[in-house]
Amino acid sequence: MMQSNINPNATDFPTELCAKPQALVGISGLDILNNAIHKSIWDTFSSNRRVERAPVVFKLIGNAHEFPVVKPKRSSYDWYIPKGILKKNWLHKHLFEIPAVTVIFYDLDWSDPQWNEKMIECASRVQSMRAALEGRACKLTVVLIQNSLPLPAGEDALAAERAVALCSSCELNSQSLFVLPHGDHLQGYAVRLETAFYEFAQTYYHNEAKHVKSHKDHLNKNSHQYLFVRHQFKLGILYELKQDIHSSHKHYTHAYNNLLEIRIVDTNALEIRTIAGFINYKLCRLLFALNLPRDAISQFKSHIDRFKSRLGFQELSFEHYAWLSKQYSVFGDIFDEAVKLGLPAVQTQHPGLYYQQGAHYATMRKKSCQELCSSVTTYPQPDPLEGAIHMEFFGQRPWRPGKISAEPPDPHLESNGIQAMQFLERQVNHSNLIIALYGLAITQYKTYRCPRTRRHLVLQMADEYYDSKDYGKALTLYTHMLWDFRSEKWWSILSQILEKAIRCAYLTANIQDYVLLAIEFLGTDVCVSLDEKRRVYENLIRILKKQIPFGNTKLPQDILQGAIILWQPVFTEKSLSFSLDMGNIVSCIATKGRFMKTAYEVDQNVTIEVYIRSTCPFPLTFSKVSVTVNTQGYSSEFAVTNLENISLSFHKDEVKRFLVVFMADSNDINKEIQIGSINLLLGNPQECCLDLKYTSLNETNGNHIELTHFKYSLDKLDFDNIQLLPKATVVPRESKLRVEFDHEDPALLGEWYKIKVGVVNEEMFGITDLKIEVGLEEEIADVEISLRPEPSHTREGIVLTNVDTLEHGEELDSFFFIRSSLVCKFNLQVKLAYTLNREKPVFSSKTEIVALSVVEPFEVSTKYLSLLMNEIDKFYVGEEFGVMKYLMFTSPWSIIIEDTSFEYTNPLRPAEKAYNSQLVEKTFNTGEIGAEIHLAACDKSCEHNLTIGQYSIRWRRKNGYTTSTNLHITGLSCDWIPLGIKLRVPAHGFVRTPMILSYLIENRSTDLIQLEVSMEASEAFMFAGYKQFVISILPKSVRTLQYNLNPLIAGNVAYPKLSLKLPENAVEDKVPSIIDQEELNLLIQRSLSTHIYVMPQAKGQPKLPTVISPKKIMFVS
Amino acid sequence: MAVCVGIIGKDNSPKFFTCLNPAEELNFQYKVLSALDVVEEKLNCGSKGATDLRELYLGMLYTLETHKIYGYVTNTKIKFIIVVDSTNMALRDNEIRSMFRKIHSEYADIVCNPFYIPGEPICSKSFTGSIKNIMTGTV
Repeated sequence: MMQSNINPNATDFPTELCAKPQALVGISGLDILNNAIHKSIWDTFSSNRRVERAPVVFKLIGNAHEFPVVKPKRSSYDWYIPKGILKKNWLHKHLFEIPAVTVIFYDLDWSDPQWNEKMIECASRVQSMRAALEGRACKLTVVLIQNSLPLPAGEDALAAERAVALCSSCELNSQSLFVLPHGDHLQGYAVRLETAFYEFAQTYYHNEAKHVKSHKDHLNKNSHQYLFVRHQFKLGILYELKQDIHSSHKHYTHAYNNLLEIRIVDTNALEIRTIAGFINYKLCRLLFALNLPRDAISQFKSHIDRFKSRLGFQELSFEHYAWLSKQYSVFGDIFDEAVKLGLPAVQTQHPGLYYQQGAHYATMRKKSCQELCSSVTTYPQPDPLEGAIHMEFFGQRPWRPGKISAEPPDPHLESNGIQAMQFLERQVNHSNLIIALYGLAITQYKTYRCPRTRRHLVLQMADEYYDSKDYGKALTLYTHMLWDFRSEKWWSILSQILEKAIRCAYLTANIQDYVLLAIEFLGTDVCVSLDEKRRVYENLIRILKKQIPFGNTKLPQDILQGAIILWQPVFTEKSLSFSLDMGNIVSCIATKGRFMKTAYEVDQNVTIEVYIRSTCPFPLTFSKVSVTVNTQGYSSEFAVTNLENISLSFHKDEVKRFLVVFMADSNDINKEIQIGSINLLLGNPQECCLDLKYTSLNETNGNHIELTHFKYSLDKLDFDNIQLLPKATVVPRESKLRVEFDHEDPALLGEWYKIKVGVVNEEMFGITDLKIEVGLEEEIADVEISLRPEPSHTREGIVLTNVDTLEHGEELDSFFFIRSSLVCKFNLQVKLAYTLNREKPVFSSKTEIVALSVVEPFEVSTKYLSLLMNEIDKFYVGEEFGVMKYLMFTSPWSIIIEDTSFEYTNPLRPAEKAYNSQLVEKTFNTGEIGAEIHLAACDKSCEHNLTIGQYSIRWRRKNGYTTSTNLHITGLSCDWIPLGIKLRVPAHGFVRTPMILSYLIENRSTDLIQLEVSMEASEAFMFAGYKQFVISILPKSVRTLQYNLNPLIAGNVAYPKLSLKLPENAVEDKVPSIIDQEELNLLIQRSLSTHIYVMPQAKGQPKLPTVISPKKIMFVS
Repeated sequence: MAVCVGIIGKDNSPKFFTCLNPAEELNFQYKVLSALDVVEEKLNCGSKGATDLRELYLGMLYTLETHKIYGYVTNTKIKFIIVVDSTNMALRDNEIRSMFRKIHSEYADIVCNPFYIPGEPICSKSFTGSIKNIMTGTV
């Protein structure tokens, strides 16, 4: 075909334009195919070109290489009329063909034995290269590949001499000769050589630029406008090759401005537009490289503004749009490139915007192509586009190349050319171009956080797929976009997408998507015409009957035909069934499900209410409604139960309530059950059925759910305001046993406390396997529970009974005991577990709590008394004292003391022969105090308080069990004094009847004690005995002082007062006395009674007590 | 004269939408949606920076070849969007700002209306009329 030789995308930029200009270095003399050393040298130069290496590109030049011919020099421009702006071959020639530097590699060591021969050969090579480059200012250099390492400069005389010789024979400057030792560090040498080459190249390009500039003077503005542009563009390229981007930018700007000065006529419009695109490309790219992104963008914008309206030939407007699209997409590319090199872009200014515009113009191109080219069916003969590839200039029409005069073109040729262009345009796959651009834009928008814009682009992309008849891809894109618009409730957009998507689903015969989309389509939120909905509804019904749905009549016939062919095999299967997840779509049928309670007892029916509302404008009938209930580990499905009076057919906006009733499984006690999904079955299973599954049961994401109460609702069932309750717990059934506890609270410390448990069966059925467990709610170490009033050694709860059966109304009594050794309060837990004897035995349980408090039955306190019944604060060794024990009864119960006993601990001992409890069998009520006293004595002195002994009380409450309470009783400290004194006296005396008073003074020490004894006179007595004298008491002996008293007055009278004093001299002589006066006084105070009852004189001759009977008083001296 | 006004709720769903040419409504919806991207970005940045909390006007969000889009966000994150023809030079920043203020006060009125449920799309005729008047500049 003739058109095959024509580039289908005339607007594409030439590759040499887009390539980054780099200095070209020709390499010759390397035989990389046969010589391994040469190969490695070539590889070192040409591969692994990283950024830090010099910006040069190497080209391998063979021996027979021919360079482009040098054009004859023009001496004057006077008669020269340029035929175009930019020659097609120039760029390629200078970038890739004419090297700035040519390097001739030659294997030659300084010490080579055949030096002369080789030198001549090398020189001849240089000469032939020079001849090949005749007319070019290209720099020639020679590199000698040497095996030996070079010596430092100046030391190798031979090398220096031979180098000079070589240079002269090659007619080379000594700076143009290099040595490359082949061995280690090849890379380092290569980099250094490369830098040298690069410097040469820069000089070369600089000179070239100067050369181009020199033409400027010969040009005149009238006939050489094209040349102004051409030269400036060339300068731009040359400076770019020199890597002087500032100058380069300057010249490109000049070129662009010169271009704008050219008057645009029909004949040159394409050329100027093309060249403007090229220069603009270069300009923008350089501006990004110069880190002037704003300038780049504004340059691009002004460029577009300038050319946007220059449509050119109306018949070729697609060409203009193609050009615009290309401008945008290329700008997007260079912008993106700059971003990748670190330029920060923002949400409102990023490459995606340009790709999007590019796609936009590509769409325009397509539209204009459809308008203009649809009628063109033949390619004109002869081919007007012949030779398009070999055109001399960029942007010219092949049928009239190089015409710059404004004379009107041959109309026949012109129309043929346009027809050919239009014919070719028809062959272009526009959709691919557009989709590719959208793809680029979408990626960018995603990067710059524009999810919604991105979505819009995806939709446009999907439209394009639809246009290109790729309905499957379009459907995928549409369905993916639906979700976001749904969640943000942009219903009108959603409706539009749905409409398109459903069409795609139809055209691809994708039954599952079709029905899913149809169900959403029929909902109230989708705002499309009722007719359209009716069509979809009828199709849905047809599908359920396994009939091919009807396509939209607006679609072209051939497309519909194709769809019907696709649909036919869909229904060949016997029965179709689809499970559709409705959780993510806004369906035309809404459901709500809830439990009626948060907890269900295990023998109760669990009821789930299901509300279903249809917003479909046409009636829908379901064949089944069921609910899936999820329990830990498994799920089960239950169908609705109240179908007798409700039909499963729904009209528009109808709400119906269904009930699902089932029995909770006793395995699920204390587990959560959950409404997993509500399933509606549409269609019948024999033909085609849809299982609509509503899983997502969370609340609607409305802003203010509470406000929907104010919404006026026609329905009796206010669907919107039904609160969901998707979870419930299965709990054990509530027991109907009556449990009574009989006990006398509070319990007393230490006693076995009896509790009676009475169980009455008030269930409707008999029960079996009754088990009563008693335990403490919280473990307390000091509390024991037992079945009998004796320790049971079990810490855990005890099981009271195991009764086989207990019929309805029957009673059961059982007992248990607890004992606490701690005053506290605690709760007893009584658990009853049993099986209910109904048709289906149900395990049941009941827990009761008994609150108990423990109090002390009595408090024990003690007092210590002297023999005179005075309270004392100290014991004395050998002196007897009374221990007085008080029991204060504090409990609310009367308590019987069975017995008490006391066990003395050493060094205390009882001062009585036998212990007789004084409280035996006494009963005490609340608040009463019982006391008993016993005499004791201490044998040893002790500084701290002594433990007297253990006091044991055995007691019980009335009808209670005997409890024994043991207490340790702590007494006082004990002192030792050397003296003891006792008074022996009758219980009472009679007036004028003598009686004997004897004082027994004991010396307990091992020292002799001398005391002054005096007896004061008393009015109540006459007495006989020593009134005042000094006694000496021998160690460990007792001295008795006897007085004969004759009472004179009746009544409670004081004795004559005895006083003991330390002898006066003793105080002076024996400084450390073993007893002091203070102690003596205390001793007398506590040991001697001071008064006696004296009776009036007895009548007659009463028998006198023996102590009073006359006796002979003896004095022992 | 504005060509389109949109009121977007805090959940980014449209509460009210009107444009002079009803045939183009869908296109404008896409434009307004794209503008929401910019609004969201501005709100995210605004929370960090020391922007004036009382300034509700966001300025021009972005320009298209054909239209300019302005935004305004209330403290309760209700977004007002105005689309203006890019050829329209009569509307300066200040005019746009005062349009937004008027829309805001109209919106406040409709929220106070006991028959309007906040969060629902606004379908009041008088509200639509007032907004149209603001758009055409007849108030």
